[in-house]
Amino acid sequence: MDEWEKIEYKPIPVRALLVEMKNLSELMIDLAYSSALFHSYELAEDVLELEKKVDNLALLLKMNIMIAARDAKDAEDLLGVSLVSSSADKISDAAADIAYIVLHGIGIHPAVREAFERVEERLGRFQVKQNSILASKKLKELRLASRIGVDIIAIRRGRDWIIDPKGSDKILQGDVLIARGAPAGIDELKELAQGTSRELED
Amino acid sequence: MDEKHFKKIVDALVELKDTSELMLDLAYSSIILNSPELAREVQELEEHMDDLHTRFELLVLSSGFTPEESKDFLGLIRLGVVTEEIADAAAKMGEVVLRRLKTHPVLKLAVEEAEETVTSAIVSEESILNGKTIKEARIADETGMWILAIRRGKRWIRPKPSTRIEAGDVLIASGYAEGEEDFKRLASGH
Repeated sequence: MDEWEKIEYKPIPVRALLVEMKNLSELMIDLAYSSALFHSYELAEDVLELEKKVDNLALLLKMNIMIAARDAKDAEDLLGVSLVSSSADKISDAAADIAYIVLHGIGIHPAVREAFERVEERLGRFQVKQNSILASKKLKELRLASRIGVDIIAIRRGRDWIIDPKGSDKILQGDVLIARGAPAGIDELKELAQGTSRELED
Repeated sequence: MDEKHFKKIVDALVELKDTSELMLDLAYSSIILNSPELAREVQELEEHMDDLHTRFELLVLSSGFTPEESKDFLGLIRLGVVTEEIADAAAKMGEVVLRRLKTHPVLKLAVEEAEETVTSAIVSEESILNGKTIKEARIADETGMWILAIRRGKRWIRPKPSTRIEAGDVLIASGYAEGEEDFKRLASGH
């Protein structure tokens, strides 16, 4: 059995907790599907780590809601917040279930790969080549989300992983990018990473 | 397993995954826009998911696999369960609006502030989207935002590639927060 982390009340704004839970739960789903698609144990393990984090956030959020409610009206108003937070928690559990499939070698049927080439939101994994214009740029300089509708959800650098990289994170030559987005954007990213396209339109 | 059966399984899995994620986006939209119609759409999709999931499981189980292949097929079943779990979570979230709970300002702000957000915009006469089909408009490629639903007068339309966008339509879209401004500009025409 894993160690259980002691949980202690911290005064964190409910809004901040909820934003983080929403972001993490959605990121986890994409990471989990990526771990299945690209047979990555590391990504699957990260998903399980994040799941623990979301569990903690959910408990902190519950405590903060309890303190915020002074009367029946507050309680009614905050019930919606509580429902949304448990939904985000459920979603992170679902992501962990995918990670479990990967980590326990249950098997990824060829139909899964086929299906992932047809879903609306695509996942892609590309290595950044030497002559790629992505190399040595910060994510916020590249603005991939607004320019090509693609979000980098993880970067593998050698044996290290950067999960949910921030704008200040720099892409280096040799990095492996895990991205999700619209099909055309994913294709564009592939060409940019390989260096076959060196243009990034505004 | 013959090719036809394989294709059916792939089709069902694609629909399960896309529907579960659409439900999630619609559920968040229903909260931001305080829209019982959208929340009801989520509940209807949940029923559709249940049917779809059963059909998917039957397809997988009737594939005639060997004992060696059973692990791969178990993986398929489990993935189906995951999409169902996500759909349940979305349906639960839609309840916030259906139970007429007041959308707490914190909730609205949290959804709007998140990395992936939902938003709406009215298509103006001069918008380049006016008169284009969803496919021609290439909104996802241009802005990274997906059209989830269209409100035309009192009707809700689930967009298909062939759906034509008209002036006055309210487009409900989800995507990365960075694309929101571009999306609003496309719709307003300036």
